[in-house]
Amino acid sequence: MTTFLRKRIVSSAIPLVVVVLGVFILARLTGNPVDLYLPLSATAEQRAAFSAEHGFDQPILVQLWDYLGQVVQLDFGESLRTGQPAAEMVLEAFPATLQLAAVTMLIAIVGAVLIGSLAAYRPNSLADRTSSFLSMTAASIPDFWFAIMGVLVFGVSLGILPTSGVTGGPEVWVLPIATLLIRPFGVLVQVVRGSMVAALSAPYVKVARGKGASEKRVVFGHALRNATMPVLTVAGDLTIGLVNGAVVVETIFGWPGIGKLMIDSILQRDFAVLQAAVLLTAVTIFLLNILIDVCYALLDARVRQAVPA
Amino acid sequence: MLSSVPTRRRTRALTALLAAALLPASACAVANSDGAGDAGAADGSTLRIVLAQEPPTLEPCESSLTSTGVVVRSNISEPLIERDPTTGELDPLLATGWRQTSPTTWTFDIRSGVRFHSGAPFTAEDAAFSIDRAVNSDLACNVDGYVFEDEKLGVEATSPTSLTVTTVEPDPILPLRLSFVEIVPRGTSTEAKVREPVGTGPYAIAGWQTGVSITLHRNENYWGEQPAFPVVRYVWRSESSVRAAMIAKGEADLSTGLDPEDATEENSIAYPNNETTALRLDGTQAPLDDIRVRKAIGLVIDRQAIARTLFDGLGEPAAQLVPDGVVGYNPALQAQAPDHEAARALIEQARADGVPLDREITLVARNDQFPRVAETAEALQYQLAQLGLNVRILMTDTAAHLQYQLRPFPENVGPVALLIMHGNQAGDAAFTTSQYLVSDGPQSTFGTPELDARIDDAERLSGQARQDAFAAVLADQNETVAQYAYLAHMRGLLGIGDSVEYEPNPATGDELRLAAVRPAKGQGR
Repeated sequence: MTTFLRKRIVSSAIPLVVVVLGVFILARLTGNPVDLYLPLSATAEQRAAFSAEHGFDQPILVQLWDYLGQVVQLDFGESLRTGQPAAEMVLEAFPATLQLAAVTMLIAIVGAVLIGSLAAYRPNSLADRTSSFLSMTAASIPDFWFAIMGVLVFGVSLGILPTSGVTGGPEVWVLPIATLLIRPFGVLVQVVRGSMVAALSAPYVKVARGKGASEKRVVFGHALRNATMPVLTVAGDLTIGLVNGAVVVETIFGWPGIGKLMIDSILQRDFAVLQAAVLLTAVTIFLLNILIDVCYALLDARVRQAVPA
Repeated sequence: MLSSVPTRRRTRALTALLAAALLPASACAVANSDGAGDAGAADGSTLRIVLAQEPPTLEPCESSLTSTGVVVRSNISEPLIERDPTTGELDPLLATGWRQTSPTTWTFDIRSGVRFHSGAPFTAEDAAFSIDRAVNSDLACNVDGYVFEDEKLGVEATSPTSLTVTTVEPDPILPLRLSFVEIVPRGTSTEAKVREPVGTGPYAIAGWQTGVSITLHRNENYWGEQPAFPVVRYVWRSESSVRAAMIAKGEADLSTGLDPEDATEENSIAYPNNETTALRLDGTQAPLDDIRVRKAIGLVIDRQAIARTLFDGLGEPAAQLVPDGVVGYNPALQAQAPDHEAARALIEQARADGVPLDREITLVARNDQFPRVAETAEALQYQLAQLGLNVRILMTDTAAHLQYQLRPFPENVGPVALLIMHGNQAGDAAFTTSQYLVSDGPQSTFGTPELDARIDDAERLSGQARQDAFAAVLADQNETVAQYAYLAHMRGLLGIGDSVEYEPNPATGDELRLAAVRPAKGQGR
């Protein structure tokens, strides 16, 4: 298991480094942000001083070397836009996104396992057809449309939920979570149903039934365990997408998360904040990937054995 | 069966891992429960305003940035003099009077009995410090560039209640320029900009929850009349439809910048916002270097149709860069209906002289510049194509648009028609001409020595002579330079709920004076 883990860490670290370097270089290719931050009357000397102060006058590789040197010392620089430390801004925003992602995926996975299993238990039954139709619809609805309609219907017309914001009781979570949930939930129900249909028709399920195991144990004890792998793959992918920033939800509902922060940093060429945000999300995704790999290995001995010592 | 024990152990480990992955965030709650929504409950004592974006800073010397100024100006900090946005008159604020004591010197009488939020008294020394900090320091304040260009000022507090400001050249509109300098106490950093300033205004900053809200409390020791609301809370939503929904639901009392499709008669008021849209034609590149081509573009644009349909009537077709109410506005310049025949005649003359009319022109516009900007760019592309011009549209973000907008302009990009939206919030055409019309203006691609000289002369004048001189400059620009093909003087939409009364003015988008907002009649507090 240790060898497996070591191999996975090395192979997952490569994309992490590529992403961090790529964002650093691509951001600088968009040009010097001097126009955004200096007054219209800025003299050539002021422009040069601004560039020198932030290192924008250096060759890109020198800038990269300086940046890496600072990162090693956990110095992520200051925001050009607000003057605040970039690390502080990012660490303030990230929990907001993590909360949304965690709650959304928890509900999506539990809900999808229950409904997907129920649908697969009797294929082509009314329950199966209904859940398939609804989950496909859910997976196809554009989130921005769903969010705006949610605001108009539940926020304004019915008046039972706040339109947006993070201040308040559990009700402030409902629309953002529902918007984030709809696609992962739809996709996961489809995946659970598909793999459960295959698992429930497998010979070992017949054997378990033949041995007199209860239906609950057959479905959740035998079939579901074997149907978990594809579900884990897709759920992991969806979780990573959410951790990367739920930009639409954060923008519409005024949720101060990392996705909105990243978009604003890109638009304002606020390199220090962008880099800190990308680094933090890349590290989180790296850890999530390791976690998903460990889950694979725990679930399936073949995965562990496939990695030579 | 034999494998069931290790499998169960694995399952438990898996469950624990999943829980560890999914629940770390539960301890660090973002959402908290202290009322109804980010802006607070409709208790009548809190004025709730939803902005389009969070201010990057509340630094007073950055208050010419819309997102900062709308919160700071005349609310948290105050200038010496205030310009009435409707009449254009200058009103005393922290200065009680002012006069030109020599051609290059202005003397200001400083109000006594005023205190900063910190309790420190306000004197002429603070005024001198603030002007020096904003204009002469290395802070690179935006107000410096917007209002003073490269002008340096000599500032001296001759007594606690008297201030003199000297300029290198005579400046007849110095008091107007100083109305943009917000006063901060001595001791405010001159090394770095401050995010949460201290001022003398009717409101003081009580809290800033990053990403969520800014709360102001009424300054109970304010020197002037107390504003109606004890508490003001700003929140921000970038979606116009959400801002409109917050007004409709009663979660906010005022909202800046609604899009036409979200506005109704019940939830909004339209107001002229001093912004003018136009195409800036780069006169250094063929075929736009030919004045006949530039004039033909001005003639063929159907600004009436654009204003009526794409702007939903929230724009008045324009024939100059400044709207009515700005010193220098020329009432004789009125937008005409498109004249295809005259435009084609000019184009044919240019073609006969060998102007390369088939060279691709890039029409650069910025996303979110104004509602339906992409459709406007497409309409312009179509109308210019009717002249046989080859136009490509380039939509950019703000940073990329600025590269086209400000000197030094990008090189090797061919002829550019830049869609601009110019806001003259200062109320004097000098702020437009120095940026957009003089040959080497930061936002001007070219000009003529003759027009530069006329602008220079106009800047030295005051009163009616100044009005007439700038009006002549604007007419001359259209006749002899034609750098701009105008679209419309725009109107903004302010979202307003039933609970408050407020009359928007041309400066509302940049400076929303809280003292002017009152509870609606019948709303107790």
